[in-house]
This record gives sequence, C-alpha cells and structure tokens, in this order.
Amino acid sequence: MAPTGGDAAYVGKRTLRVEDPRLLTGTGTYVDDIVRPGMLHACFVRSPMARARVLGIDVSEALQLDGVHAVFVASDLNPGVHEQWYTLNGRDNPDTPRPPLAEDEVRFVGDPVAMVVATDRYIAEDAAELVVVDYEPLPPVVDYATALDSAESVHADRPDNLVGRLGGRPMADLDPVFERAPHVVSQTLYQQSHGPVPMETRGIVAEYAAAGGEMTIWAATQSPHEVRSFCARLLGIAEHRVRVVMRDTGGGFGQKVLPQREDMCVMLAAARLPAALKWIEDRQEHLLAAGQARHEHGEARMALDDDGGILAATLDHVQDAGAYPTPSPVQSGIAVGMLFPGPYRIPEGTFSSRFVFSNTSGRVAYRGPWQYESMARETLLDTAARQLGLDPVELRRRNMLSREELPTANFNGMPYDHISPRETFEQALTMLDYEAFRREQVRAREQGRYLGVGTCTYVEPTAGATPFHATEGATIRIEPSGKVNVYVAGGSCGNSLETTVVQLTADSLGVAIEDVSTVQGDTAVTPYGAGTGGSRSGPMTAGAIAGTAGELRERIRAIAAHRLEVPVEEVEFVRGRAWAKGRPGEAGLTLAEIADIAYYQVHALPPGVPAGLEASGRYHTPHLMIWANATHVCTCEVDVVTGEVKLLRYIVSEDCGPMINPSVVEGQIFGGTVQGIGGALYEHLAYDDDGNPISTTFMDYLLPTATEVPVIEVGHVETPSPGPGGYKGVGEGGAIGSAPAVVNAVADALAPLGVRISRLPLTPSSVVGFVEEARTRQAVTL
Amino acid sequence: MADVDTVDTIEIHVRVNGTSRRETVRPRLTLADFLRVNCGLTGTHLGCEHGVCGACTVLLDGEAVRACLVFAVQANDAEVTTVEGLTGPDGQLSTVQAAFREHHGLQCGFCTPGFVVSVTAFLAENPKPTDEEIREALTGNLCRCTGYQGIVNAVRAAADTAGTAVTEGPA
Amino acid sequence: MKPAPFTYHAPVDADEAVGLLAELGDEAKAIAGGQSLVPMLALRLASFGHLVDLRRLDELRGIERRGDDTVWIGAGTTQATVQRSDEARAAVPLLARATPFIGHFQIRSRGTVGGSLAHADSAAEYPAVALTLDAELEALSPRGRRTIPAARFLTGMWSTELADDELLTGVNFPVWKGRCGFAIEEFARRSGDFAIAGATVALRMDGDGHLDRCAIGLFGLGPTAVRARDTEAALLGSDPLEADAEEIGRSATEGLGSVPSDLHGSAPYRTRVGAAMVARAWRRAVQEALHG
Repeated sequence: MAPTGGDAAYVGKRTLRVEDPRLLTGTGTYVDDIVRPGMLHACFVRSPMARARVLGIDVSEALQLDGVHAVFVASDLNPGVHEQWYTLNGRDNPDTPRPPLAEDEVRFVGDPVAMVVATDRYIAEDAAELVVVDYEPLPPVVDYATALDSAESVHADRPDNLVGRLGGRPMADLDPVFERAPHVVSQTLYQQSHGPVPMETRGIVAEYAAAGGEMTIWAATQSPHEVRSFCARLLGIAEHRVRVVMRDTGGGFGQKVLPQREDMCVMLAAARLPAALKWIEDRQEHLLAAGQARHEHGEARMALDDDGGILAATLDHVQDAGAYPTPSPVQSGIAVGMLFPGPYRIPEGTFSSRFVFSNTSGRVAYRGPWQYESMARETLLDTAARQLGLDPVELRRRNMLSREELPTANFNGMPYDHISPRETFEQALTMLDYEAFRREQVRAREQGRYLGVGTCTYVEPTAGATPFHATEGATIRIEPSGKVNVYVAGGSCGNSLETTVVQLTADSLGVAIEDVSTVQGDTAVTPYGAGTGGSRSGPMTAGAIAGTAGELRERIRAIAAHRLEVPVEEVEFVRGRAWAKGRPGEAGLTLAEIADIAYYQVHALPPGVPAGLEASGRYHTPHLMIWANATHVCTCEVDVVTGEVKLLRYIVSEDCGPMINPSVVEGQIFGGTVQGIGGALYEHLAYDDDGNPISTTFMDYLLPTATEVPVIEVGHVETPSPGPGGYKGVGEGGAIGSAPAVVNAVADALAPLGVRISRLPLTPSSVVGFVEEARTRQAVTL
Repeated sequence: MADVDTVDTIEIHVRVNGTSRRETVRPRLTLADFLRVNCGLTGTHLGCEHGVCGACTVLLDGEAVRACLVFAVQANDAEVTTVEGLTGPDGQLSTVQAAFREHHGLQCGFCTPGFVVSVTAFLAENPKPTDEEIREALTGNLCRCTGYQGIVNAVRAAADTAGTAVTEGPA
Repeated sequence: MKPAPFTYHAPVDADEAVGLLAELGDEAKAIAGGQSLVPMLALRLASFGHLVDLRRLDELRGIERRGDDTVWIGAGTTQATVQRSDEARAAVPLLARATPFIGHFQIRSRGTVGGSLAHADSAAEYPAVALTLDAELEALSPRGRRTIPAARFLTGMWSTELADDELLTGVNFPVWKGRCGFAIEEFARRSGDFAIAGATVALRMDGDGHLDRCAIGLFGLGPTAVRARDTEAALLGSDPLEADAEEIGRSATEGLGSVPSDLHGSAPYRTRVGAAMVARAWRRAVQEALHG
C-alpha cells in the first residue's frame, strides 16, 4: 500500500521539524509552564528508610506554617480510589499493589507517606520538613538476587517476594542436547539498575471543577488517553468528564507511559481542593522514586557443535521489580525470554524469567525493556567464540539469519519476517573495515595498548498489536480556507510525531507541507489513541493517516471532477491543486476553492459527496507485530591503569524499512545508542546494603555528556514491512543494541589478560577490578 | 511559626531581555524561578536544580550561568538574557537556533534552551573552536534525546556560518 | 528542591562583611559564587539563617603582580577571569592549567578563587594548587588581617583555618622562576566531574639539571589535598631524567591515611589512580622544565 497521493514530496526527506521553532525560542509548553488561577503546589514527604512500620504521622506543625493548605496522609487519600488499573495492562490481568500513599509500612527510600499542599513549592518543602513520621525500622530486602530466599517479605501477602514467573518448556528437556554437545558455554552477567531519566522530571497539574464534575489535567505523559482513562477510573467519574492536555513533554523513554502513585495522589487531592494542584517532581525525587529498570541477571547457556553451529540455548533470567513496579512486570517481562534467540538459527532452547520484589524503587518501562535478551545472548556469543578459538564475527556468520531464510520462527515461536540481520551485520562490519581494525588491534597490543571491538545484532518487534495498541485514529479537517489540520492522539516526548504526521498528511493528501498543521495531545479534541511507546507511532499513525487522507482525497477529486466536468479518473490533484489530466495549463481548482464548494456551495457538490471536508478514520493493524533489526559495532581502547574505557568508533546499521524522515530516524538511533552507552559505562541507581540510594543527584547518577560519546555512524538497509508504507518502528532499538556492543568491545580489548566480565556497569574501578581478578586467577592456575 | 521569608523581602532591579523590571522578592528565590514565575519566561527550564544539567542556563551580564545557582537578589542591577531574548523581534531564529533546527540538534526540547544559551556564550568567546573544544564546551549541558550528535553538528555549523559571515563582511 | 529561608545581606566592603559574620555567628555563611553552596542549600543538606553575599566587595577582585615574586589574586576573582588572564597564565601556570578542570564554563563564570579555597573540597583543584605552590592566603576578621600559609590553611574535609567571622580576601601565589615545569593531571568519571584522584607537580632545575625545588600535590585522596613531602625530599638534588615516574607515583601515594571510598571507586583504586596521575604529571613537568 502506497499511502501517498501522487509523488512523495516530503516523506523520505530530511524535512525540518515543525516542533523546533517554539522549542528553540523557549516558547514550548511543558507541564511546569502551566499556571492556573490560585494554583497550589504539592510536595511529598518520603520515607528515609528502606523498610519500616509507620507508627504515626504528626502533621500539626506543618499545618501551622503560613501558606500551607493541607497535608494529606494515606487515610485521607487512599480510600478515594475507586478502581485502579492500566489500559495498557488490561483490567483482568494480575497486577501488583499500588497504594497512592504508604499505609502501614514504607517499602523503599522515597516511598511517599504524606503530601503537603501549599501556595508555592518553597513553602511546601518547608512544611514537608515539619511533618513528623514515627517509623519502626524493619529489615529490608535490598538485593533482589537473594530476595527469593529471604526470610523477610516486601509485601506480606507475597511472602516469597516472587511477583511471578514465566517460561518456555522445562530446562531439563534440553539436558540431553547439552550433555551430548561438543561445546557448552555458559555465563551469568549481572546488569545494574538504571533508568530512563528524561531531562524533564515527572509532573502533573490537576484542576477539578466540582460543580460540573469536570477534571482537567495537564501532564508530562506519553499517553494522554491512558492518563484520562486511569483518572476517570481512579476517581469514579465518567471518562468524558476528564480532559488531559499535553503539548510538550521533555522526554519519556517509557518512564511516562503510565501514571504512578504520586500522580494518583494529585488526582485524588485535586478533587478535594478549591484550585488546581501542581506537582513537579524534583531531580532528587526522580532518582529516588520515579523508578528503575534493567536490573537483572541471567544464566545464559549455549550448546555448540565443533564448527561453532549453535545447537541449543537457554536463559534463566531474574529481574528486580522493586517495591511498586509500574505496571506488573510479568506481562511485558516475557519478551526477554521470547527474544533471547535473536537473529540466529538456534534449533531449540527455552527460558525462565522470574520477577522479584525488593525494597527499592519500582521497575518502570525503559526504551527496549527486554534489552537483556541481547545483553545475555551477544555477550555469551563472544565468550563462546573465545572458548572455541573462533573470531566472534565468524561465529556469528555461521549462525545468523539472512533475508533468504525468511519467514522463519525462533524456538519460542516468534515469527520473523521482513528483516535483514545478516545484511546489517555485514554492512556495519564493512563500514568499520573489520579486518583493518583487527590488524590495528594486533599492532596496539604489541605496544601494550588494549583495543577492542564488539558487536550486537538484534531483532525487535515494533508496533505490537496488544488490545490497547492495535488501533490508532486520525481526523483530518480541511478548513474552508484550504488549510489542513490533522488530529492524532499524540504523546510525543521528542519523537518528532508532529513533523511525522504533517509529512505523512501532506503527501497522502497531495498538499504543500506549509498548509498542514497538527493538533495532538488533548483528549477533548483528538481521536482516541494509545500514545507513544512500543515503537508504534510511525507505522500506526501512517496507517491512520493513509486511510483517512485517502478518503478525503477521493472526495476532493470527486468535487473537482464535478466542477471541471471530467470523469474522476481524469483529475490530477498535486500540491493542493486539481486539474484535468493532460490539461495542466488550464484553470484548475485550488484546494481552497474545493473547500469553498464543500462548505458553502453544498448544492454544487456531486451526488453522494457529503458536505464539508473532514474525515476520521481508525487503522487496525492486521499484524501481530512489525519486525525491525539492526547491528551495532563499537570499538574502544581501555586504559588498564585507570580502567578508563574510551569509545573510538561507533557504527549502527539498521533496517527500519523506508524512512519517513532520515533525520528523525537517525536522531532516535543516536539517542537510544547513547542511553545504552550510559547503561554500559556510567549510569547506576545504586543502593547501599541498608537500602539507601546513593546516586540521587546528577553528581552521582552519571548521564553521558558530549565528551563521553563518540561520533555515531549510521548505515541503512531497507526491507519494507508488510505494514502501512512499509514502515517499521525505530524508537527503541538504539537502546537495545548499544550496551551489549560496548560490553563486548571492552571484553575483547581485555581478552589477552583473561578478563571475564560478570557485572555492569563497566566503571573504571570495576574494569580495574576485572583486570586484577584475571591476574589473580591466572596466577593461581599457573 | 511564621515563614521568615514572607516578611523578609527585598526589592531588586533587573534588566531582563532588555526590559527593566523592578520586583520585590524573597531572598531564597532562585534566579531561575524569578525568570519563570515572576517574569513569565518559561523557556528557562529546571532539569536538576543543583547545577549539573544546564537546562536553566542564562546570560548574566553576558556570561553563561546556571540560573538555579544564583539567587534573584544576587542579580540586582544586572542584565539577564534568556533563550527568549536571543530570538529576533519577529521571531526569527538566531544563528545558533537555526543551526540546531537544521542539524536536528533537539528532540524533546527540554534541555534545548540551556544548550542554545551556552553555545551562544561559548561561540562569542571562542568563535573558531576545534571539534574537541566544542565537545568540551557542551559538557556543562545534559541531553537525553539526541546523543549529542545533532548538537555537535549544529555548533560546528553555527561557528562556520558565523565565521563565513565575518569573512564575507566588509573588509 | 528549594532552599530553606534565609536573611540576605549584601555588605559594601570587607569590613562590613566580617562585622556581619562576627555579629551573626554560626547562623551566617558567606556566599561568593555560590556554585558549591547553593546546591547544598537546594538539596537542604545545609541551611543558614543568614547569607552574607560578597558580590559588592570589589576590593576582593583582581589579578595583580605584586613585586617580582608574587601574583595576588583577589578571593572574589572568578575562575573564568583567571582562565582569561595572561598574567595568571604567564606567572602562575599551574593555576591557569588547573582552572579548566573546575566544573564547566558556566560554573567558572560564577565560581571564585576564594570560594573554592574556603569550601576546601578534598577533590578540588585550587586547594591542591595553592598547597603545591606554597601560596599564602590573606584573611580578614574584626581582629584584623593575617596571612595563612596554604600548608596550614586546609584542616579537613570542608574545613579550614578560617574562623567563623574570618573572610578570605586574596591569595599570594609565588612566581617560580628559572627552569621550571608545572603539570596537573586528574582522572574523573566525566569531563567536569570532581576528580577520583588528581596530582599536581611543580619543579625547578638548577644549572646542572638537578632538582632544587620540587612539590607534589595530591587531591581527592584524603580529607584534604596533601603534599607528598617525603617523596619530594627524596627527589631534591636528583637528576629528574634518572627518576622512574611510576616509582614516584607509588612513593607519593604510599601510606595515605583515610583515602575515600564511594560508588566511583574504592580507596585502593583511588590510590592506584593517584599514583598514575602523579607519574603522568611528573613526566609532563619534567618535559617542560627541560624543553620549555
């Protein structure tokens, strides 16, 4: 299906973004920019202990402070909860506990126990310091890895601390293969807790008009309609009485897909306050309580034959859910195991995943939430190559799928098609000149310098058809002046969704891009939609716009044909002008003239054509998912004295099908890649043994800066998907492929020293630790 | 207990983007909050409020500073330029702003005002930077979307554009 | 993340400032550039009833050559001013070279020389530079002026010889002349972060190519910046070309008490990095002394 009307004038081009002028001049509208009459400000009192019984809360002194409006505790707000579940997860799927404020027990440092409401945030913080909470400390369950064996429970009704488990066939089924295999390689790699950390923290403004029973919410969100449905259910008011507005959201990366406990508190409190209530999370709160991700380990095993052919693979995976995950990790968590086989021919295998409560910040979604499948597999492949004495590239070449072998399914039954793993792999290696790098590496080693190269090739399901995500709507209204507005649900957090939609609409209708504007992120105005997430916006909005614009385009041509007195088939409509085929010189009709007929000369419309030029459509994807793939290749130098890892070259070869806007595609890859680099080398939401977080400022939680990041080179391979326009999602992939490639590069650099990497992140001190450990190990064996 | 800073306020005079403002403020009000709340200039963003992320960077008497680490009272009698003040009177983008757009140097836009202000100050002091100097100069601002690729390219382009303008000008 | 309330004072001269500090006692804190203080206030790790702002104290700003042997730098001089100063670059090269390591340029446009010294963070560059060059610090209190040698100034993590009502007004940096070499090396997680470990080296060679002055400073490796005095003493009179830089690094970092341990590195790791930084700084300083 070609969703374009006439030539693609804008799709595929590096169209300048329509969002940029306002964002560059400081005139965007983020949630903290919202000011309402009499607006009040919230600040949370948070637990300083990882686990404690709450014996009492004294708010009297706080209430006496000038400017303090109210102090809410759990008994004030929690009974107001009517119904609490996420559309994304579904009503009937098992979920984890989620009280707005902590009740009898606090379960992590940062757990909200009270909410102060005051005339401004300064005073609210003063008052929060005056709230006295009487805690009785309890022994916390800090380390998820030992939580299953702990005598203590994070939630009393889950005594074993197990949120849930998922898996394929029994591990024991594979025993015969592993027993017979000439080579078995296994390793356990621990990945540290880190997270999305958008530059804009969480935030919400809620204003309730009691007389009319109307709630208006401004939120930093990826999914305004999810916020609306959630709020309506929470407060027990009708969905159409809730309006959620978001214009600009300062990054989401999965973190802002779902409302969390603090948002619930603001919604519940706003319904009882005379004015709007604003909560803007500060950075310390964010690093304490906005959630963590990627905190997991797994024992990965592979059986190989003498030629390096993979016979079987298994993964025994355990992930930290924290105290209050958003949502339950069990449903989405299965992806780690399902995708573990990756782009390789692996005849059989299985996995097990367990999700475990701990007294730490709750798990949230983070861009490519199943990234550990690649981390476990790709690092294991490099270990296998070293064990077998093969070059890791050669080992992959012997096992990696190429286009000709498709369609196929991995051993978990995931059906792969329209992907090009081997092609991206070869393209990336060519861009690097892999052989030349290996020669350089040999020379460097002779000089006592440690250079390394690492790769990661992955396949990724995008635009998945879960019930919430399977449809997307678009409304296109051509105004009487001929100017076009396209309405979609929105939820853009930097994903360039406005530009994407404008490009697609201009081409689908056949009008000039300057004549198209878009309205997004207001549930009162736009079609219903699930927002951004799951790398869905490109393919899904393309489907919605293609269908809706196609309908309008037919109407435009019918009106023009009627006026020009030619058959419809003879009407050309390009760049907002219609004329009879073969007679472009003759006076045709502009879109404004056609719109004038549609709105004001209804009698002149052809029979059967409705008045006006507005259409709405909803695309329902017939595809369970749309596969995308990429290869990341990274080279580095490691200083074995300080442990510093310096990235030298970074290459991504990707296949997202045809690109709607190459700048946007590359921008998504760049950003995701650097988040992965951060995860591999810098970022760590660390806790001490008592459950105290020790990286709650940007001086300790280290985001990469411009000097930690190399130039990223991008190559494109284009395999159209079966979806609209052949497009695929591209939002998440960069964050999947990068960390494993970096880890492999470091391991490769240090391979001559016998280094084995078992824990992340690869900080300078941990790299030195691995080098020392290898020296000790080898000294013992010698 | 009374809130001490409601009684203890100070009158200050600040020129913000060329406009003279006289305001009575509490001493603990940060310059960032003064600009956002008192002046309604919401382009100055708060990303960390402890001086690391750079989203609140403004020019104070011409020098780039963290507006979260300056109290409004400390800007008394000073000249402040925010991102809003870098744009031309009809909304035309400055050289730096235009380069960011041209090179996809922004995505969510939250860190962007801080980058634009920092880069403006940096190029004023070092109009012909090396690539290495550009990266070093950008380390005082954090971005979570772009991986800095588009930003580095934008600064390079802005420097080159400005350099060209100089050489093409009257000799 | 908003600071607790305080009363603000903006004295017009140093005498008024120290008068206020004396009058207000430990409820008061002087604020210069505020680049270390304000984050602590914002995080409510610290709060003070009174802030005494030094912004109007013009007498505290400036970089002046005082006689042949000294450069005076006012305590209120910003790090950005030091970075732009030809005088500082020519006469106190180690100070000039240390400056770009301090935070980011947006920090240096507010941060001051005196603020950095008085804050006395153990991982900060300026205290190590002052210590290495044997700078003398000028202080003013209601009791009058006094001069404090850098070696006596740093008394612990975030603590100095300054009394509560005493203000740092300036620093006299000795101008080292002759065949000198100066170097600073530090290792940080990211550009602009506090150093995991760092080292400063200043040395001078006599006509025969032997060391007749030598100073090695360490920072980030204890509660305060320190000098490796035993190592220095052993090196005096030697030919620097015959010295083993790695051995100097090891010796300089030997026997350090209370090296910090945190998320970014254990004490042994920091010590190892410190030794490497000494070695690197040593080599560069020697090269400069030999070849200019």
